[in-house]
Amino acid sequence: MATGPERLWYKHAIIYQVHVRTFYDSNGDGIGDFAGLAAKLDYLQHLGINAIWLMPFFPSPLRDDGYDIADYYSVHQSYGSLDDFKLFLNAAHDRGIRVIIEMVLNHTSDQHPWFKESRSSREHPRRDWYVWSETDTPYRSTRIIFVDTEMSNWAWDPVSKAYYWHRFFSHQPDLNYDNPAVREEIWRVMKFWLDIGVDGFRLDAVPYLVEREGTSCENLPETHVVLKELRARLDAEYPGRMLLAEANQWPADLRPYFGDEDEFHMAFHFPLMPRMFMGLKLEDRKPIVEILQQTPEIPSSCQWCLFLRNHDELTLEMVTDVERDYMYDAYAHDKTMRLNVGIRRRLAPLLDDDRKRIELMNGMLMSMPGTPIVYYGDEIGMGDNVFLGDRNGVRTPMQWSGGWNGGFSTADPESLYSPLILNPVYGYQAINVQSQQRSDHSLLSWMRHLIAVRKSTRVFGWGSIEFLQPANHRVLAYLRQLENEKILVVNNLSNAAQAVELDLRAYKGHLLIEMFGRNIFPRIGELPYLLTMGPHQFYWFRLRKL
Amino acid sequence: MAEETVLSDEFVRQLMNVGEVDLIVAVPTANDAKTIGGVVRAVRLGLLKCFPRERAVLVNADCGSRDGSAELARQASIALPADAVAQALRTFHTVTASCVNGAGTKSPVRLLLATADLLRAKACAVVSPSEDVTPSRVERLLAPIYRQDFDLVAPLYKPHKFDGLLVRLLLYPLFRATFGRRIREPYGREFGFSGRLGAELFAREDIWQAEVVEVAETLRLTMSAVQFGYRVCEVFLGPRGYVEKPTELVSAMRQTVGTMFHFLDADPAQWQAIQGSEPIPREGPEPEVGDEPLRMNPHRIHGMFHSGVSDLQPVLASILTPETAAQLSACAALPRNLFRFPDALWVRTVYEFAAAYHRSVISRDHIIQALVPIYRGKLYEFLILNRQANAGEVVARNEALCLEFERHKPYLLQIWENRGGAP
Repeated sequence: MATGPERLWYKHAIIYQVHVRTFYDSNGDGIGDFAGLAAKLDYLQHLGINAIWLMPFFPSPLRDDGYDIADYYSVHQSYGSLDDFKLFLNAAHDRGIRVIIEMVLNHTSDQHPWFKESRSSREHPRRDWYVWSETDTPYRSTRIIFVDTEMSNWAWDPVSKAYYWHRFFSHQPDLNYDNPAVREEIWRVMKFWLDIGVDGFRLDAVPYLVEREGTSCENLPETHVVLKELRARLDAEYPGRMLLAEANQWPADLRPYFGDEDEFHMAFHFPLMPRMFMGLKLEDRKPIVEILQQTPEIPSSCQWCLFLRNHDELTLEMVTDVERDYMYDAYAHDKTMRLNVGIRRRLAPLLDDDRKRIELMNGMLMSMPGTPIVYYGDEIGMGDNVFLGDRNGVRTPMQWSGGWNGGFSTADPESLYSPLILNPVYGYQAINVQSQQRSDHSLLSWMRHLIAVRKSTRVFGWGSIEFLQPANHRVLAYLRQLENEKILVVNNLSNAAQAVELDLRAYKGHLLIEMFGRNIFPRIGELPYLLTMGPHQFYWFRLRKL
Repeated sequence: MAEETVLSDEFVRQLMNVGEVDLIVAVPTANDAKTIGGVVRAVRLGLLKCFPRERAVLVNADCGSRDGSAELARQASIALPADAVAQALRTFHTVTASCVNGAGTKSPVRLLLATADLLRAKACAVVSPSEDVTPSRVERLLAPIYRQDFDLVAPLYKPHKFDGLLVRLLLYPLFRATFGRRIREPYGREFGFSGRLGAELFAREDIWQAEVVEVAETLRLTMSAVQFGYRVCEVFLGPRGYVEKPTELVSAMRQTVGTMFHFLDADPAQWQAIQGSEPIPREGPEPEVGDEPLRMNPHRIHGMFHSGVSDLQPVLASILTPETAAQLSACAALPRNLFRFPDALWVRTVYEFAAAYHRSVISRDHIIQALVPIYRGKLYEFLILNRQANAGEVVARNEALCLEFERHKPYLLQIWENRGGAP
């Protein structure tokens, strides 16, 4: 049982997001599995991450990459067995790596037995486990999320001759959280995995749990009641375990998900991510500073989760129309790269495989207030394949080496769950772990160093942030502070060298110690502190009064 | 002695923070505290609406204001509506500079050219600090350059019959006949220019070391653009936003006609071979002439013409041919009710003044000053002829005068090197 500060482990975690299917295939069937993931834990430990977030691995028809769960109490047979999962979990814990698993609360697969029973008869006890209607007119003011594929949030069920509610794909009927039996069953599911030893849950699509007429059916008070109930049970029975909210909302709308330290421990900061890309392309700190200044304070035990890329499209829901148009033109000029309201690309291709920009973005990710998430493969600069459909292009096999199947699997290439990236720039022969491990100057080695520096201080995970306002708008500078420890972060968002004058008079007399090379920079005096920066360069300085 | 720089160190420091831009909007001020705030807001909103993605900066080029115009420009930039700022993708900079150099010369255009060159701007616009400036004016001045590849945008305003007569009776017809381009406001206070035009003009020291005075910088810009073959267009900006500040006619004549004469003298090869004139592309509707009442006292103007011709006889004798001088005297002697100043006489007079300026028959400044009373004679005729005229008639008379200037251009060439006729 975690006690004391260790209960807040997520505040200083560095999370690695991975789908078991994509990482390493131990049995040669072309699909990654838990035994394979366990075999690669040394790699992750060496990288320096201390938490893994696993995408859904439950039995599923896999029509939405596992977010359509058909059995909450087991492991999809392609990935191994429950025992394989337990072995992996213990091995991770042995290495000081915590494991966060996905929990899809909002909906199930239409192949889940609960739904099959629910649709089977209007009198069935599980009929009210889902949201049914005689017409498709209720909740008209609710937006459609998957606009590329869905015309309505209602789908007609020919079996029970009624409409059922779904916020995502029509094969993912929403559970009815007004039904106490559903809430009880979901807690039972969570208890099952907590008893096995998982350290936390990433709760998927939480704003949509409850529906009410005349509302957007998002972020409703009734939804928060459900979530607080889960949190209370978690704290009572499993202290030190963590809940992470996936709620793609504006910061002000996200704040209630932290409650009074009685709802979520962490939540993704969705609006920040596109603005980091926007700021980089615009060479202007404005979008980043603005969104962080709009971000409300959260309770001290809570934390934002920050990310650059993940398994989904680079979502543009939380930007203005002008910003969205700009982002599309800037990062997805080719319309095949666009999906729903976002861009389905990985980090390196988004940044034109520009090492300096990749480093800068990771530097910002690791130095902003929150817990960073690294999406698997981005630490080596993997590419994507927009022709694979949906978001599968960013879910291709991990590239371990330049050999057979990129070292991912011994299976015939044709039997892999997904084709590997093959092009000369991002293909596994050019981009792979093995070759990057051999170079101290590879992106992988640099990421390892970055993570180590980040972990060398608690300031990044726990400290406050204060933005400096240098007149040069291409420079994003902020001071992170925790008690007496102060770190100055200066990022040049521009593709050209810049001079910037920082008003550091409040820290007169401090020395600046550059954290990567530990070199000493001149002492702060009365005059503006002049820094010259190379293109897309960034500095982390420890301020020391010596 | 060190060469004086165009941009002060303090201004360069501001520009370092701005960095490379796509667009510059400049607002020259000279004690415009009452209006500058509104202008800055209009510029900002215009940029937000029409150029949301472009990197832009507002440059306040202050010509020695003592009413805090520059500070008010800075404040107005900060005090924009929150929703407007929230919509903006980028940081917006407002920078201010004094355009009065060490020698006391006011040179906002040269300052702007240097700024555009340094910031590698693609398009620049100058808007007047008038309360009538609207966001759309910014777009009209910048869009032809930024989106259609023009190099110079000259303004067109909705004129009224008796507005801008120095331009309509003298400057425009002379410019049109000599340079062959029908730019109706070659002396506009509001205009746009491309980065490449700005860079070339800024680099040409010969243009900026001319002896003409500072306010004619815009005319110089227009003439240079035409001379160097850049693409020029006109845009209709609506009502003339600014009110010309009280300026003596002599001073205005020096700034405009003096500049024209200087350019004709400096590089005759650029204009002597040109015949006729060509219209230039126009964006927006053709402005209609308004019909506001006359606000000048024509009788007083006539009196000044009459006494001027009489008092300046010795000076005019050194500038004009005897025939022209005699016809002018006869014209001045006409009673007001029979007064006429034929276009042909006016054109010959202007051309003989230009040639005299070229040959420096007397002090060039005296030549320009001597043209003032004669211009008043033409002005008087225009006023009395058009008092009851409708817009179409006014336009037709202006066009006839322009054609007369073009028709007589061979005469200008003839007298330019004193090849007959001129004293």
